[in-house]
Formats: sequence, structure tokens, C-alpha cells
Amino acid sequence: MNREAGINQLKRRDFLKAGLVFGAGASGLAAGYAAVPDAFARAVYAAKKEGMTNDNILVMIQLAGGNDGLRTLVPIADPALHDLRPKLAGPMVSQALPLNSQYGLNHNLAGIKGLWDKGKVAVVQGVGYPNPTFSHFESIRIWETGDPTRRQVDGWLGRTLATSYDSNGHPLTGCACGATDAPGALRDLQATLTVIQDQKKFGFTGGSEVEAAVGALYKGTPGIYGALFDTAIATATETMATLRTSASSYQPMADYSDKVKLVYSSKNQLAAALQLAAELIVTGTGVKLLHVTLGGFDTHYTELNRHDDLMGYLDSAVSAFYQDLSAHNMADKVLIATWSEFGRRPKENASGGTDHGAAAPLLLIGDPVTGGLYGEEPSLTGLDNTGNLKYAVDFRSVYQEILSGHLGADANKILGSTFDRVSFLKAPVAV
Amino acid sequence: MPNPGGPGFNELVSLAPIEEQVASPKVRSRGITRRQALAAAVATGVGVGVVRLLGGSMQQIAGPRTASATNWVSPLNSESARVMQLLRRTSFGYTSAQLEASLSDGFNKTLDRLIETKPAEPPALASANTPGGRFPVAQLQQWWIDHMLTTPTPFAERMTLFWHGHFTSDYRKVADETYTYWQNLTWRRMAMTDLRSMLMQVTTDPAMLRYLDLATSTGQSPNENFSRELMELFTMGAGNYTEDDVRESAKALAGWQEPQPDSYATVVVDKANNVTRRLPVYSGQKNGVFNARRAYKGSVTYLGKSGPLDTQGVLDRVLAQPATASLIAGKVAIHFVTARPSAGYVKNLADAFRRSKYDMKTMMRAVFTSPEFRADASYRSLVKSPTEFMVHAARALGVSSPSKLIAGSGSGMGQSLFDPPDVNGWPNNESWISSNTVVERVNFATAAVAQMKVSLPSPLDAVRQHLDGVLSPQTASLFNQAADDRARWFIALASPEFQLK
Repeated sequence: MNREAGINQLKRRDFLKAGLVFGAGASGLAAGYAAVPDAFARAVYAAKKEGMTNDNILVMIQLAGGNDGLRTLVPIADPALHDLRPKLAGPMVSQALPLNSQYGLNHNLAGIKGLWDKGKVAVVQGVGYPNPTFSHFESIRIWETGDPTRRQVDGWLGRTLATSYDSNGHPLTGCACGATDAPGALRDLQATLTVIQDQKKFGFTGGSEVEAAVGALYKGTPGIYGALFDTAIATATETMATLRTSASSYQPMADYSDKVKLVYSSKNQLAAALQLAAELIVTGTGVKLLHVTLGGFDTHYTELNRHDDLMGYLDSAVSAFYQDLSAHNMADKVLIATWSEFGRRPKENASGGTDHGAAAPLLLIGDPVTGGLYGEEPSLTGLDNTGNLKYAVDFRSVYQEILSGHLGADANKILGSTFDRVSFLKAPVAV
Repeated sequence: MPNPGGPGFNELVSLAPIEEQVASPKVRSRGITRRQALAAAVATGVGVGVVRLLGGSMQQIAGPRTASATNWVSPLNSESARVMQLLRRTSFGYTSAQLEASLSDGFNKTLDRLIETKPAEPPALASANTPGGRFPVAQLQQWWIDHMLTTPTPFAERMTLFWHGHFTSDYRKVADETYTYWQNLTWRRMAMTDLRSMLMQVTTDPAMLRYLDLATSTGQSPNENFSRELMELFTMGAGNYTEDDVRESAKALAGWQEPQPDSYATVVVDKANNVTRRLPVYSGQKNGVFNARRAYKGSVTYLGKSGPLDTQGVLDRVLAQPATASLIAGKVAIHFVTARPSAGYVKNLADAFRRSKYDMKTMMRAVFTSPEFRADASYRSLVKSPTEFMVHAARALGVSSPSKLIAGSGSGMGQSLFDPPDVNGWPNNESWISSNTVVERVNFATAAVAQMKVSLPSPLDAVRQHLDGVLSPQTASLFNQAADDRARWFIALASPEFQLK
């Protein structure tokens, strides 16, 4: 007996037999796990009839830890910046890439500046919400659920999946790329979504026999976690089948690299995650809502290099992603948006860093965007009583524009209210 | 019905009473009948006990569309099952011999041993003497996993992992693996002491001083990072303090610095260009040092009182807040008892904790002797963390030298030791379940079985020893029909049952 064969000694017929016993049936197993998806049929099917019908796609990039807005969109002409940040202000002002006489992008955002020059970048300034919390986890939850009162438990993108798309049986409608667990923004009890950390590793190492065995093993699992387990396995096997097809038909048309200079190595492989997003988009898997994360923005300490490096990483990954989508003629469908739980304190601390802050700018990137500055510039001299920037634009105004104007979804239903518009979209579907 | 005295270990511990084996319509529609399930069970003596209707509130976790209508039938009315649940939740698996010993001792004696035995120190890690403290984190991960696999005091390791998730630090920002190693040693030594002394060790731990930036904070220009997380995540929880409290305790806590090295070593960092650097060397483990010149001079108003305040004063004021015991008790309950502890249960544990002056032995004894711990609702109500799953699987199977495999497999399941997702530490229970993580767990089972070059232990014993003999019809059927012992072991380790504890 060849012991090396290990689990491969599980015979296919054993699992077919198991399938028959448990009702899935041999043909059911075959169809469920080996079917080649009809990409275009799926894309159409993924939209509920009463919901939206367009084929636009949203990619949210989370800058986790609290991105320093003043180092992202730098108020280059404001003398108050130098008073607040004697150590940090100098280089960030002198090297910034000017957008106009008042503002410049971080000097490591050269690729995004190039897209700005082509009118493909909108920056919404002063985004926040009333009575801000300075807790990472409370503020993340607020942004994820779209609810500053902290009553909502489902994510705003999860609710979008549940109300506007038929994700049941179409687990790639919503996908977290480069993660091991579902981000709160995508979570909803009524929505199915996929989580893929690394596409190259996403599969059963034991091959198709293990896949069939596990498919039979995780059916009708009892207990409070039963449905979660069963859904996770069903989602995974279905997604693997889709990826087998999409990977063979996708050629990246840009240079994605995660080998970037960082002060601290990154947990997240942003470029690989965006490359997977591009593959899912250009191969027509029916994906609608994508979420990726770049961590490391909690820059309490030695912010100068750390934040610049993160900006450079974001810039190279986003630039490659846009270039890839563009080369595949999909850039007109895709809106890229950044979010972060808060900005940082205008006044620097003793560690050459900044503590938790409040309002900050968001970047919206892509062909659907009308480039320019939106919102209201926050005053560096009129700080609130915690020494933080006052918000001018409710973050849900941005969500509303994305939901209604880009996805054609019912923003009022999803957000529970109507907010002031921020008209950064070139051709909003309907608001 | 199992006899009231509790069945012996080799008897079926959990074959459900016939009247409870009424399949729900959903199960029946999948084609499984009670007769088939029982037939599958009888064929190998593997018990099937899965068909209790779930209450409405439990279904909330899963969602109505795909909710399972059945629950595991709890075998916890037998002492042997209670002992096995205790071991699963306090250890990283066990060998047959260890299980036999615990079953022979019974629940109370086993609990005494777990709680009262002094933690065994892991062997010293030679790399920790590296000048400058930089060495591959994989060495540190394997060193800890090796100790989890072999320690005579597994509960100390389980608690060390708990505190690693609570008072968390990550090796990336600490950027000194020797500091990270020291933190692991400290967390183990303090794991079952009292919260007051623990908080001082946490505050002055060199890795923590770096991770939450207290080492670079000054009274004149304080860094709020540690001050905030001390209250929000380590003790009181959000909503129980103000932003002014964060600022004021940031001042009061400032002044701590990293320990001074004992000497420096000149090390060649670039042979080709003959570049050398002087790197710090420590003769042994050290704590942070207080530098009064960097401290805040003056009074602060903190948690309702004004006056001069030093670090111990800050910690004592935190400990005077009832919210502190509640936060720790709630977290302990979620990690060791049930994913949704009731407010009343958490309050009982918190009260016991405060009354004992925050003694961890008192707290953990209260947890494991509580009716909630042995309640039917507690059975399989927790999801094993990836490390618990992998170490348990490797020990059950008897894989030789599995620490490299385990260290390298955690990341895809969401748990790479010393590298938590964020300052909130490790997630728990349902957060461990996603399409990515479940596939990775299955892949670990595949790899662990493939690593076995010798004959495998009895898979049927494994089902009894590690799964209480309580299998779903699917698991029982696949197990019974598997071609050989390798396949049976794979089914056992990859099953949903084995992911739970």
C-alpha cells in the first residue's frame, strides 16, 4: 500500500455513494462541484429584477487603523499646519503634488495624481459623522454598518447584497479579497459572500475527491454554527469552480507587486488582492461588491516614513489595478473608493506620530468619476473641543451617491435615511 | 438513555434517546431517515445524536435561509463527556493516556490539577540571544507550538494564548523577536495570578511599550495609544470613560522606556561591503524602566478624581471600576463557555472576580464549575481557534514534529501566532468560519494525515475520545464508508464536529 497517497485513497465512488445516501445524488454532486459557470448568465442573474439592472462594480479599499487625511490631501498653503506639526509638516508640504494653490496629494501618490490629471479622481474633503468616537473598533463598526447610533448590526454592503442582488447560489456577488474573514461591511445574515485570502492557495490540496467528500460532509450540519459551516464550504467549492475557469482566461495587463518598501511589513497583500479583484471583474464572474484592506495606518509613532510608505503601496497597487481594468476595457464599470475609520489628530505627539482623529478625505477613483475636490475643507484653526477636525460631509452622503448613482440600488432603503448629495459621479443612474 | 451514573469511557456516551431522534422535515428532505442514521451508527458503534430542535434565538447566528433545524444532542449528563469537554476547552488536545488519566481522576480532580499546577516553563529559545533581537518569527511560533504539544501543564498554554489575544502585541510593530519572546514568557508566568499585578506587568512589558507606543510618550507631549487601549480593550470597555480620561491617563502613564541593553555586539550586516552595526545585547529578560524626567509633573483629573497620579494609581483607579471585571468576565465566558453568555452569568463571574481581588484562579474555577459550563446549550457551542484545532489534530493523530506545519498553516485560517489582526487581538467563534478558513482547515487535515508514515491509531477510538461519539448522520456515514483508516482519520479531523469544542 502506498502510504504517501494519504487521503487520495478515498475513492470517488465512496463519495458518490455517500451523495446518494444523503440525497444530493451522484448527478447533483457532479453538477454542484464541476459545473462550468456561464459567466454572462450569472452576471445578469445576480441582479434582482426589482433591484438594479446595471453592471457596475464597486471596489472598497479599507485603510485600516485611521488614515492621516492631512498627509493624504495636504493643505500646502495653510501656515497652521506647521504650528500643529513641527516635525511632520515640513517634508509633507514641500514634496506634495499640487492639485491647486491650496492642496496637494502626498508625494507618493504619483500614480493617483496621474489619474487626477485625467479627471478620474474625486476627493471628498472633511468626511465624518456627528459625535465621533476615537475607538478604532467602534468607528469601524459605524463606517461598516453606516449607523453612528450603533444599532445596526449588518454591513452597508451586506444589506446591499441582501436587498439588491440574489447572492444565494452566487457567492461571488460579494467578495472580500486578501482576507481570511468577512469584513463587517459585507456581512448580512441574508447575504452570501466569498472570502479569499490568496487565490493561488484557494483550493483543496487533496484534490477533487476531498472536495467531493467535504461537500458531502458539510451538509445539514447541526448546531448553531451548522449553517455557517455548510455555507462556507458550499461557497468555497462553487467559487473554486468559477476560479478554475476565470484564472485560465485572465491575463494581467499591469505590473502588480507586493514587494514594496514598508517600515513594518504588511499583513495584507494589497496588490495581490486587487489583482484577484481584477480577475473576478474582467472574466465576468458576476462580482458586484469587492472589499480589500490595507492595514498599518495607526501611525502613533514615526509617522513620517510609515505613512509615506503606505501611500506608495496604495498608489502602486491602485495604479496597476486601474491600468489592468482599463486594458481589459472594464474601467468604465468600476468605481474604486477608499475608507478609513477616522483621520488623525492635527497636532502631532512626542513619538513623531499622531493620535486618533476625526474627519478626513476619501478618494474616489475611476472612469465613473468626475474629477475634482468635493465637500468642504476642514479648518486647522477651528478645531473641535477634542482638538480634531470638524466634519463637513456625512460619510453616508458618499455611500448614498455610490449606492444610488453607481450601483442603482435603493440607498434610502439600505441607509434608512436620505443624505445631502455629493455629485462626484459623471452620470449617476438615479438618486 | 445513558444510565444516570454516567457511562464508562468505552461505552457509547451519546447515542441519543430514541424519542429525540425524530428527524426534522429539513433533514428528512435531504434523504436521511432515522433508520439510515441509526444503521450507520450501529455499523461501527459510532453514535449519532443530532436531532434536537433549535430554539429561535439560536438560529439568529446562522440566518433563516440556511439555518439548520437540528442541534447536537449533548452528552454532558455523563461525567466522562464533561471531562472531555473540560480538556478540549483548557488544553490543546490530549493523548489517549492523558485522557484515561483524567477520566480516572474525574472532573473535580482534573480541574484542580489544571488550575493549581504551576505552569511549566518552555525550554529557553537560543535565538533570543541574537544581538538586536531580530530572528525569523517562525522560530518563535514553532517554539511555542512545540511547547503546546509537549507541556505537562497545557492549561497554562491555553491561558497564555488567551492573554496573547487580550493583551495583544504583534511582532511586526514590536520589531524585536526577543521582546516578543519575553512577552510570551511573562504572559505565561502571570496567566493565573491576579489582574492588579498583571496590569503592571502589561504596562511595563518591553514589547507592549513598543506596540502601544508608551515607550516614546512623554508627560509634555503624551502619546494616547496605550492609555486608550488600556481602558477600551484591556479593562473597562468603550463607553465607560471619556476622551478627557484618555488624555489625562496618557499624561499620568508617560515616563516608561525600554530597558537598557547590558552591552553591545558589533555584527556584520553586509559582508560584501563590510558594513557592521552595533546591536544591543541583553544578559536576560528585562522590564521597562521608569524615567522620571519624561514623566508628567502635576495633577490630573482621571475617572472622576483629581490629584497627582502615578502608573499604579492609574491601574488602581481602573480596577476600582466595575466595568473592568465585567469586561474580563465576559471575554472569558465567550472563550471558555458559550458564544452568547447571558448578562446574569457574566455578572456572577465578574462579582466572583472582584470579590477575590481579581484572582484568576478563582475566576477560572467559577467558570468551569458553573452550571452554564455543563449545560446542554454549552455543548459544541464554541469554535476551536486555528491553533487549538491544529495542535489538537496533530496530538490526536500522533504526527511527529508537526510544529513547522502548524506554524505555517495558521495564517490562512486567520491565526498566525504573534501576528494578530489588530490591537483587538484574536476573533472568536463564528468569526473563525469563512470560505477561506474552512478550506484551510480541511487542507490541514489532509496534510496531517499525509505526514503519518507509520500506522495510524484507531480512528474509531478517535471518534470516541475526541468527538464524544456524537456525529452527524453525514459524518457517521462518510466515516463508516471510508476506504481505510487514513480516510477515516481525514473525515474525523475535517468534520465540523472536530472544529468545535
